[in-house]
Amino acid sequence: MNFEAQPIINLDRCTKCGLCVSGCPENALEMTDQGPKLRQPSICTYCTDCEALCPTGAIRTPLTVTWGSNYLS
Amino acid sequence: MDSQSLISLEFFATLNPGTFNALAGRAFQREIHTGYNLVIEGMSAEACYFVLSGQLRVSRMNRDGRIQILARLGAGEPVNVISLLKEDRINHASVESLTDSTVLVLLANDFDDFLSQYPDFSTALLRNLAKRMAKTTSLAANLSLYTVRSRLAQFLIDLAERPQYAGGWTQDEIAAHIGTVRDVVGRLLREFESQGLIERDRQRIILLDYEALMSEAQNYDV
Ligand code: SF4
Ligand code: SF4
Repeated sequence: MNFEAQPIINLDRCTKCGLCVSGCPENALEMTDQGPKLRQPSICTYCTDCEALCPTGAIRTPLTVTWGSNYLS
Repeated sequence: MDSQSLISLEFFATLNPGTFNALAGRAFQREIHTGYNLVIEGMSAEACYFVLSGQLRVSRMNRDGRIQILARLGAGEPVNVISLLKEDRINHASVESLTDSTVLVLLANDFDDFLSQYPDFSTALLRNLAKRMAKTTSLAANLSLYTVRSRLAQFLIDLAERPQYAGGWTQDEIAAHIGTVRDVVGRLLREFESQGLIERDRQRIILLDYEALMSEAQNYDV
């Protein structure tokens, strides 16, 4: 399965400071009345910059570690 | 969760049938959603919990306001026991659910009854605390003996070998686990990638070269 992960935004923690929106190198986020949301998910490269910029931990880009196919039986 | 599934979890498997039935009768099940703060550091400790499914993250706030991740707990693990054992009964750390999870709740008064009436319950808790303490001690030893680069290599191998814990790690959480900061984790991951040890594919960190990562993991800080 090639699941394309997207940043996970927890609006309960978001202060709408806008740092993630202005800092996204792909301009993939937009600010709405509720808080930031992905404008167009396909533009997001999952660079994880928004997570690094968010001062409240409201936006997360978690990683998963796995063996390469040569090690999977 | 039925008794058969419950008894297959490590903690419960060691209990006598009488203790197990008493616990099943006293504790109650609770579903919590992703991101829910089950325990808040500094608040009065009201209960301990046993993870039945899902994953929880235990963290503490440092003096400089930074969050330090202490552990990740999965099915069968007790949660918030230390807070109930402390004299002040104040939550020692915060616990947040990383996934939709189910926990068994044992209220503080019932916890006291179990400690005094069911020695096998106390023994199971002591064993679990000893296991965690051993983990913390080896983590502390790793921090003093190995370079950050080798700790990251070891951490990646450990995660890949335990698929149930391999997902959902932010770079801040990885940094907290290996005793460094996010920027260093990001830089080292880029270095590992440029050396062909790993590959990044969106959320995936794919380990490509076990031998090379192992040799990185064994580098002492001399
Ligand atoms: S992961 Fe990167 S590209 Fe995607 S929204 Fe965040 S900053 Fe933008
Ligand atoms: S940086 Fe964090 S707090 Fe600020 S708008 Fe983005 S998600 Fe909300």
